[in-house]
Amino acid sequence: MSDQPTGTNIEGDAPVVETVVETDEATVTDDAELERTLGLVGGLAIGVGTMIGAGIFVFPGLAGAEVGTAATVSFAVSGVVALLVALPTSELATAMPKSGGGYYFISRGLGTLAGTVVGLSLWLGLVFATAFYLVGLGFYALDALAMVGVSVGASSGVVVSALAVLSGIGFTVLNVTGTENAAKLQNGIVALLLSMLVAFLAFGMFDVLGVIGTKPSGGTEADQWAALPILSTAALVFTSYLGFAQVATVAGEMKRPGRNLPVAMIGSVVIVTVMYVLTIFVATSVFDRGQLGQFGETAMVEVGRELLGVGGAFIIIVGGLLATMSSANASILSTSRAIYGVSKDALLPRWASRINLRYGTPHVALGMAGGPIIVLAATREVQLLAEVASFLHLIMYGLICVALVAIRRDEPEWYDPAFRVPGGPAIPVVGAVSSFGLIAFMDPRSIAVGAVVILATAGWYLYYARDVKLRGVL
Amino acid sequence: MTHVLVPVAVLEGEAVSPGLMNLLGTVDVTVLGYHVLPEQTPPDQARLQYEDHATDALEDLTDEFRTAGGAADSRLVFTHNREQTVERVADEIGANALAISGPTGDVEQVLVSLSGDVAVERILSFVTELVGDRDIGVTLFLVTDEEATTQRLESAAERLRRDGISVRTTVVASDSPFEALIDEVPGHDAVIMGEKAPSFRSLVFGEESDRVASASVGPVLVVRSAETLDT
Repeated sequence: MSDQPTGTNIEGDAPVVETVVETDEATVTDDAELERTLGLVGGLAIGVGTMIGAGIFVFPGLAGAEVGTAATVSFAVSGVVALLVALPTSELATAMPKSGGGYYFISRGLGTLAGTVVGLSLWLGLVFATAFYLVGLGFYALDALAMVGVSVGASSGVVVSALAVLSGIGFTVLNVTGTENAAKLQNGIVALLLSMLVAFLAFGMFDVLGVIGTKPSGGTEADQWAALPILSTAALVFTSYLGFAQVATVAGEMKRPGRNLPVAMIGSVVIVTVMYVLTIFVATSVFDRGQLGQFGETAMVEVGRELLGVGGAFIIIVGGLLATMSSANASILSTSRAIYGVSKDALLPRWASRINLRYGTPHVALGMAGGPIIVLAATREVQLLAEVASFLHLIMYGLICVALVAIRRDEPEWYDPAFRVPGGPAIPVVGAVSSFGLIAFMDPRSIAVGAVVILATAGWYLYYARDVKLRGVL
Repeated sequence: MTHVLVPVAVLEGEAVSPGLMNLLGTVDVTVLGYHVLPEQTPPDQARLQYEDHATDALEDLTDEFRTAGGAADSRLVFTHNREQTVERVADEIGANALAISGPTGDVEQVLVSLSGDVAVERILSFVTELVGDRDIGVTLFLVTDEEATTQRLESAAERLRRDGISVRTTVVASDSPFEALIDEVPGHDAVIMGEKAPSFRSLVFGEESDRVASASVGPVLVVRSAETLDT
């Protein structure tokens, strides 16, 4: 079926590769079968559940403060970029429905160096993203405390850090000790969240559209309808779209992968794009730039209060807590699968994917996710965390598009995707250019941190796994 | 040939009692070794770590089934969802029945429940195949208060007797078929029952067969219905 891998890492381990047969319901290896247990709803819940937290509950204040109502365009641009990547990712995922997602495609399409860089930066990118979600959770928890009358006074920043760190520890412990029904819980939370948001947005849209012309909106600071600020805001809010590719990290567990993977990935991008654009429209119509800037991370709470009074603020706080929790939890899950993917290919030590005998969970990988998440969450640097997460993901997204073009050019015998992106190389090429292009609009500090991470992962490749060959090995 | 699927939580040290192995000596057996993982753990990752250990245990178990008399093979599955795996493998091998393992000694008398909306015909042919020419007595059990269904039980008993099986019948009028069945279990070494369509009760309390297995502390054989075999 495919070439054998050659070479070993510095410890003498070779990648674990064997011939398997993929069916709609299981992966069949020589001696064992691996059941595919995630359905379409589960896949959508991972995609939507990871994405919906940040975009709606943390960014309206920050993005609205930059460009006002023009932020709707920023979110739409980000959504289009995400869609341009989701299509190639879907094609590759249906051809290679394995754990590890983007890492897997790139290591097979472009070789070990690109694979190592992406595999490790997928891990670290998810770490940055999760830290960002947790800081968002901290801000919402602070508002929740304020609502029930607990005032923390001047030290609110410290309290946010403490809450973020505590919830980071909580999620890591929860994932290691494991609850069987976490997936159902995640599905339930996403369903609850979506129905709350749809109701809220429907009300908000009626109100905003009715208000226009009858009374002036909150403030007078004008929207910024210019390309550069819109694009740089798009680069910031792109973190809201890190999630559809996480569906690919569980591709090995998805039932009917040929149908469910593309529908879950593309569907979740479309769903959240619509929700984001509407939310931003409502938020920036209720308040102007200056006001949103003052409210900051939890501006949506004020939007809720303005539209529906205390009840509205309460709905948004509960929604924000649920959304940031589900984002953080889903990302921690994806992180441990990303680590497993590279460890199986001997790019990280094999012990990184050991399973705990007592709980049956990958405690080392979860620790490698949770540890750095907690440190980063303590920094409370919302914008930096979000942009570095986007940077690392955008590198992967761009390379996924390149990998698609490369694999299609070679068209190896094993390459038989159930879903093909229409239009030849056009979509992956535009996807790659826009992914890399979006990075240029980020804050220089974020670009610097992201570049350091990429260089460090390349250094790890040279030190640890220079002799491992993965290209074309299925 | 009649085919029975025996799911075993192979890495949790679940054993199959010698009594059940002997009882299944007349039919083909597929031992389904499964390991359920929390969703944090990709099945593939667990396989890398546990496959050798699980394969050894499963081979030993399969050999014991062969020694007990029947043809036996095995499948090993790593999964997040036990029910889904059991259903899939049962469909793939066209299993006539599933065994829920439970401790028992030599089987001398089996309790066959015909209560409720079950495929009586399939259950009777399964019992005939299973008992074969062995000296195993059968108790046909029915919870009902209607005369007509009692006659159905008698004709079922008559059919088994024609195949040379020693049959007793028990009819009970009760509001609670489940309790009545459990009360009848003492004096029997295994329970055979039909698969029922999922109901509200089974959603809340779990599959009836699983509850019978845990309440009766013995093996239960669940004969699959025709609908699930066809689809």
